[in-house]
Amino acid sequence: MAEPVIDVRDVSTTLGGHSIHHNLNLSVERGEVVALIGGSGTGKSVLLREIIGLLKPQAGRIELFGQSVWDSTPEQMNGLRQRFGVLFQDGALFSSLTVEDNVATPLFEHTDLPHATCRQLARLKLALAGLPADAAKKRPSELSGGMRKRVALARALALDPELLFLDEPTSGLDPISARAFDTLIRLLADSLGLTVFLVTHDLDTLFSIIDRVIVLSNGHVLGSGTVAELKHIDDPWLAEYFAARASEGETVHGN
Amino acid sequence: MTAAQARFDEAQGALIASGVWHAEAASALPNLAGKAVRILDGTGVTQLDTNGAWLLLAAARPQASDPMPELRAFQPQHLAILQLVAQHCRTTAAQAAPRREGVFELTGRGTLAMWGHLVGLLDFIGRLFIELVLLLPRPGSWRWREFAVQVSTVFVGAIPIVAGMLFLLGVVFAYLLGDQARQYGANIFVVDGLLMAILREISPVIVAVLVAGRTGAAITAQIGTMKVTEEIDAITTLGLSPLAVLVIPRVVALVLALPLLVFIGDIAGLAGGMLVAKEQLDISYSMFMDRLADVILLKTLLVGLGKAPVFAIFIALIACRMGLSVTRDARSVGAHTTSTVVQSLVAIIILNAIFAVTFVKLEI
Repeated sequence: MAEPVIDVRDVSTTLGGHSIHHNLNLSVERGEVVALIGGSGTGKSVLLREIIGLLKPQAGRIELFGQSVWDSTPEQMNGLRQRFGVLFQDGALFSSLTVEDNVATPLFEHTDLPHATCRQLARLKLALAGLPADAAKKRPSELSGGMRKRVALARALALDPELLFLDEPTSGLDPISARAFDTLIRLLADSLGLTVFLVTHDLDTLFSIIDRVIVLSNGHVLGSGTVAELKHIDDPWLAEYFAARASEGETVHGN
Repeated sequence: MTAAQARFDEAQGALIASGVWHAEAASALPNLAGKAVRILDGTGVTQLDTNGAWLLLAAARPQASDPMPELRAFQPQHLAILQLVAQHCRTTAAQAAPRREGVFELTGRGTLAMWGHLVGLLDFIGRLFIELVLLLPRPGSWRWREFAVQVSTVFVGAIPIVAGMLFLLGVVFAYLLGDQARQYGANIFVVDGLLMAILREISPVIVAVLVAGRTGAAITAQIGTMKVTEEIDAITTLGLSPLAVLVIPRVVALVLALPLLVFIGDIAGLAGGMLVAKEQLDISYSMFMDRLADVILLKTLLVGLGKAPVFAIFIALIACRMGLSVTRDARSVGAHTTSTVVQSLVAIIILNAIFAVTFVKLEI
């Protein structure tokens, strides 16, 4: 694969007078499952918002599938948006729509399929995300946090994107649901050939389903590689980060 | 990239697909009504996603009871997707269309809902009263800060719109009244009419309507959003009463602010009338003021100002109660805000009618 799916070049961001990123570079290849980690306030979410075209960086270039996010016309950008799906931290489901219509919305808007077919496809996506059939007609407010995340994942998958962005996919879930969600993401990534880019704090996620970890620190990429490779980087924050895990006995599953 | 194509081979009973199979490929499917598909052939399929896989499977197997077709000549990764989709394909029985409700049913439901609103409002007033009685002996636990913020937004913020509206209404009213009075040479009596209309009716009602639309809606939206973001629950778990923290400061602020706004409206309305009286009826400002001093009764002013706190209580109660009964979704905030404004307006009109009849009977 010649060109990376995500390519971030020399991005600098200043928010409210604070410099968040300077000359940040990273890239993600097709089919990779990549996690972005870093301490609080290192600008992980800001970077994610910049990559998906919600927040404009002060300088630098961001490309998805070789197409610039910030130099595209609105039409080009809309075409690009149909090629990736986003799972927001709290799900961001449309509270006035049923679960099924939430998932069917991208299909209603971007395809010419009859609405009945869109709803059936939505139910397929809900099943893929591991939701029971009776959830389809419920409202988001009637679901538990874990189920809302699954609905949000189903909506992100509605148009069968090639690239999936996940913002803290397992936060707010109990450990069992969180592991099940991890397994689901890996299963979908492998069987559908997705590229996944996720922001996380969850060490278990890192150890179980991630191909490569990118560490953000002081406005630039501190390092990138497998969990084992990262342990060789000499950095106080990283050391403390992994120490939390090491103390409870290491169980690396790896991939 | 070749567009999706599919054709049905009668001899083999095979649906032969080729090209790129995404959601947009639906139109490429041939009409398969009454034909049994035994084989799904993917010889020429270059790309396949779950949407495309579902379309192919659904075409080959319209009913869940139909046998699964044989999958032939698909690339291994496409085969995996087809199998994943086939596993998760579940036939949800077509939902029965929601039954249409008749006129009687709708009327009945509406009446019951209205009754529920009324009972809820009474319950709310009761709880609020208990809270108020508990708070009265402890002025230290009054939310003075919240109260001050509310007075500033409800009163100070509303002065320009109230003054502007009433000034224009004074202009219009004096103009119409003057047109009639001039025919009888009774120019100066415009002052009497204007005074009566503005002070007793127009200013209290219009100001209450403006406040219901401006402040009532804002209160419901704010409290409703706090309900959605669980702030109300947080207040409760901190051992505080949402009624004492949120509702009472708003009710008291509105009860104080509305009479003040009505008074400002009175002055603005008379000023508008005075301008027209000079331009159209040749009544100079000093003549207007002299006549005003002659005919004004404290009673007229007090009747108008006295109605205002009653309107205020109803607006604040309705707005706070609607805000607190918001459920946890965005649409509910909108629906309750609308309901606040409608209920407040109806309450103002009904109360005003009751006042009018009562005052006539009491000869005030």
